[in-house]
Amino acid sequence: MTRSKGTPSNPVARSEGTPSDPAARSEGTPSDPATEHDQSVLQSALAAEHAAIYGYGVVGAYLTGRLEQAAQQDWATHQVAMDALVSRLTSAGAQPVAAQDAYQLPFAVRSRAAAVALAAFLEGRVAEAYLGLVALDDPGLRAWGAQQVRASALRATFWSGRTAAFPGLPDPAGTGTAAFARPSAAP
Amino acid sequence: MTFPLLAAGCKGVRALGTPPTPLPDVAVLNHAISAEKLMIARYRAAVSGSPGQAGLLGALLAQHEAHLARLTSRLIDPGATGRARPPSPAATPPASAIDALRAAEQDAANALVGHLTEVSPSLAQLLASIAASEASHALLLGSRGGTG
Repeated sequence: MTRSKGTPSNPVARSEGTPSDPAARSEGTPSDPATEHDQSVLQSALAAEHAAIYGYGVVGAYLTGRLEQAAQQDWATHQVAMDALVSRLTSAGAQPVAAQDAYQLPFAVRSRAAAVALAAFLEGRVAEAYLGLVALDDPGLRAWGAQQVRASALRATFWSGRTAAFPGLPDPAGTGTAAFARPSAAP
Repeated sequence: MTFPLLAAGCKGVRALGTPPTPLPDVAVLNHAISAEKLMIARYRAAVSGSPGQAGLLGALLAQHEAHLARLTSRLIDPGATGRARPPSPAATPPASAIDALRAAEQDAANALVGHLTEVSPSLAQLLASIAASEASHALLLGSRGGTG
């Protein structure tokens, strides 16, 4: 699906699901987790998905129209990823971490601009969690993690109108904030 | 003059035997470094040919320079990257510069992901992160395609 052009203020069409970007629709199924360490990393990704699902609920409450639909789509995407992680952990005999009743937001969200900024923030956290899978030995989990990092980076760019130099990684040089056209919707 | 090496009875380089095979990480790093250098050359050409897009292209160029610096820092001898093919981007008509960059970004991202299972965990993470960055560059450029 391609969204109508336009980030909150910058025109950025999404490319998920298009042939040129096969990784964008990446909520597929990871391969079997083989080790306890693999399971621990999957649990971290699951925890990040729980937080993202909660966060997108907040995001959607402050948006309308096209952006609300975008938030709903991303909420659903994270639900699918969460289900995949729960399924893999359960089949491996692990108890999936449960979602918390509520999460502390990184900043107050009382406006459309803050909601948009929160969506971008959530995707950054999700990318960080999935990058943990990329360090695993299991080739399937490594590839799936990379797909998820990429999909998350694309969603972050949609919401913020920016790109990061190193999605999911610390960027001490600050190049990840090398924004061009700061969106007016951002706080 | 007697060289210490000879004085020690060393039989020379041949006595050291076959040089060890470089780790897969080194080969992949050199590929990635070469690709980043080519991308940087493309962006510099595009910036000069598309002054109207200098803000956007300059920001993305800076991120590619950050990619290159981080990749190069992982080599013990950064000078070894001189073996990489010197970048020589084809001249791109300004009208299609953005579209050409978008395609190059997508290709570069896909190429990096193709190496993930060959390398160490930490390098795999760096490559995956850079690939995600380049895919998002492509997304952004796609929204400005055709504006040269």
